Amino acid sequence: MTVALQQLVNGLTVGSFYALIALGYTMVYGIIRLINFAHGDIYAVGAFLGLSTYGLLRLLHVDNPILTTLLGLVVSMGCTGLLGMLVYRVAYRPLLHARLSILISAIGASLTLEYGLFLIYSPSFLVYPHLFDTPGMSLGDISVSGLQIIIFVSGLVLMAALYLIVHRTKIGMAMRALAINQDAARLMGIDVNRVVALTFFLGSTLAAFAGVLTGLYYSQISFLMGFLIGLKAFTAAVLGGIGNIPGAVVGGFLLGVLEGLAAGYFSSRWKDVVAFGILIVILVVRPRGLLGERVVERM
Amino acid sequence: MRKWCAVVAVLALLVPLTALGAGAQGATIKIGVPVPLSGGNAKMGDDISKAATLAIEEWNAKGGVLGRKLEIMTFDDACDAQQSVTAAHKLVDAGVVAVAGGYCSSAAIPASAVYHDSGVAFVADASSNPKLTDQGFENVFRVIGRDDQQGPYAAGFMTKTLKAHRVAIIHDNTVYAKGLADATKAALSGKPGVQVVFFDAITPGEKDFSAVLTKVKSLKPDVTYFTGYYPEGGLLAKQFKDLGVSGKFMAGDANNDPTFVTEAGAAAEGDFVTSTPLPQDLGTAKAFVDRYKKRFNQDPGPYSALEYDAVNIVINAIQRAHSTDRAAIIKAIAATKGYKGATGSIGFDKKGDRTTILYIPYIIKGGKFTPYNVSS
Repeated sequence: MTVALQQLVNGLTVGSFYALIALGYTMVYGIIRLINFAHGDIYAVGAFLGLSTYGLLRLLHVDNPILTTLLGLVVSMGCTGLLGMLVYRVAYRPLLHARLSILISAIGASLTLEYGLFLIYSPSFLVYPHLFDTPGMSLGDISVSGLQIIIFVSGLVLMAALYLIVHRTKIGMAMRALAINQDAARLMGIDVNRVVALTFFLGSTLAAFAGVLTGLYYSQISFLMGFLIGLKAFTAAVLGGIGNIPGAVVGGFLLGVLEGLAAGYFSSRWKDVVAFGILIVILVVRPRGLLGERVVERM
Repeated sequence: MRKWCAVVAVLALLVPLTALGAGAQGATIKIGVPVPLSGGNAKMGDDISKAATLAIEEWNAKGGVLGRKLEIMTFDDACDAQQSVTAAHKLVDAGVVAVAGGYCSSAAIPASAVYHDSGVAFVADASSNPKLTDQGFENVFRVIGRDDQQGPYAAGFMTKTLKAHRVAIIHDNTVYAKGLADATKAALSGKPGVQVVFFDAITPGEKDFSAVLTKVKSLKPDVTYFTGYYPEGGLLAKQFKDLGVSGKFMAGDANNDPTFVTEAGAAAEGDFVTSTPLPQDLGTAKAFVDRYKKRFNQDPGPYSALEYDAVNIVINAIQRAHSTDRAAIIKAIAATKGYKGATGSIGFDKKGDRTTILYIPYIIKGGKFTPYNVSS
């Protein structure tokens, strides 16, 4: 039983990362029906920018771990958000009405970011500073580290904030309007490009947040780190019902937990086979994902 | 006018030809060094190619060999089977007389077939999978020990010094890691009262191993032995402590790198690493370490001294063979006996394996790899 609970804790931690990244996929898909392949790499850029900020702060002799972490998060999220907007402006906006070309453009953007990191930073992996070397708490036989709690809780808070932005603010209303009918939204006086750019900004900040926390939690980042996790987060978004914000969160957590249980009860080598096998079954039974793509109100 | 143009054109064609002719006479002797220069193991590759550079610079300062200067050609094999074969073909085409290098067994083994087909000597410096020399290629040698030597060594250390009864073994399915894991398991199965409670692989390139380690934790091992490489080793060591798994964490020689400690942080304290001794801990390598530090302003990597010896053995063989003929060099290398290298005395048996090889345990203390005194 304790093993199962521990695997649940492990799975929820991994799932938090999946969920945060899945949100970016789902928002962009919901609005412009694009699978943004570069999103996983945006996450990697976030991790590297966080590391750069830490390096800079260390040069300035700012040593308070909480202050550096917060500054690292804010700087990385802000810059990565702007980068997300830039990617949209350069790679997607001119091709919005060319379905196939925009997909290729997305792959191009992904490779550009990956190898940009490769050239600017390092071909091998980099190591994050150990800011929180606190030993894990033990609840009986279950260990939970402070960082795990921070990841889980802050992830949930951010996701809730996003939900509120989309459903309670004017800009969120504009996003939802775009998702339903772009032409009608434009006729109502909504600045489509601005709203889509903002969507990219929000998605990218969440990815950057996940990136910096990945660095802090696992302490290892590399230029290719976004590839596999991007694929899995995309899967999580589809699993929950792409275009659906709560769906992305549920999908992320579910995928994380499934992987953890599969690795724990079968074998680490079978982890992806088991997890993705279950995914196929779920999607066969519910082709629109667990929570379903909302047809009328896609977000 | 047109005639003049033709004459100029013909002359222009001849210029590169004469240049080629002149080149052949005083041409440098090229030695190939395939190493990973990209990917997770790039740092090891860098350490290895630096050692090769040092070796040929020292020879060139003395006037080279057979009156010709030496040159190394470094190609990135990325620790990848396909890329290493491409790199091997490039080296052979570039006219190298012999090859000394390689890091990952999964790259060295496929490449060794290319060298065999082209009759080029291959002195592996860090590839320790038994298969490399078990293929029966007369052109393949290695200056490092074999995993089926490290495996029994690690097994003996766990059971005798650490008094382990329950052992968990984690590998990563690469040729090297699986080989070492198999050899360790085989050696443990012969010992009374010792049980291998866990034997499974993780996936290289992943970051979260908590699911596997949770399973290991439930089996209450005395020692957990990881046979893969340091990028995952450091992460495992950290998550091992975070999850509070019982017993000691121990890792194979591919984890003998400072990055292992920076990655794991304080969690690495007290972990063990079985390894060939670092150059700094070898009496015979003292002079090499000093020269390396002076030249590159940094400490040599764990395989630098081995690569230095590998390159020197090739050059030594060229000198004894009095020829840069590829076949003659292979013969001369095979005849190497009692060569006094930075890593001690070197000679090869019939398979091309080194006849004398040494392993020692390291313990991580104060963030540093410290030789562990077995008797204490």
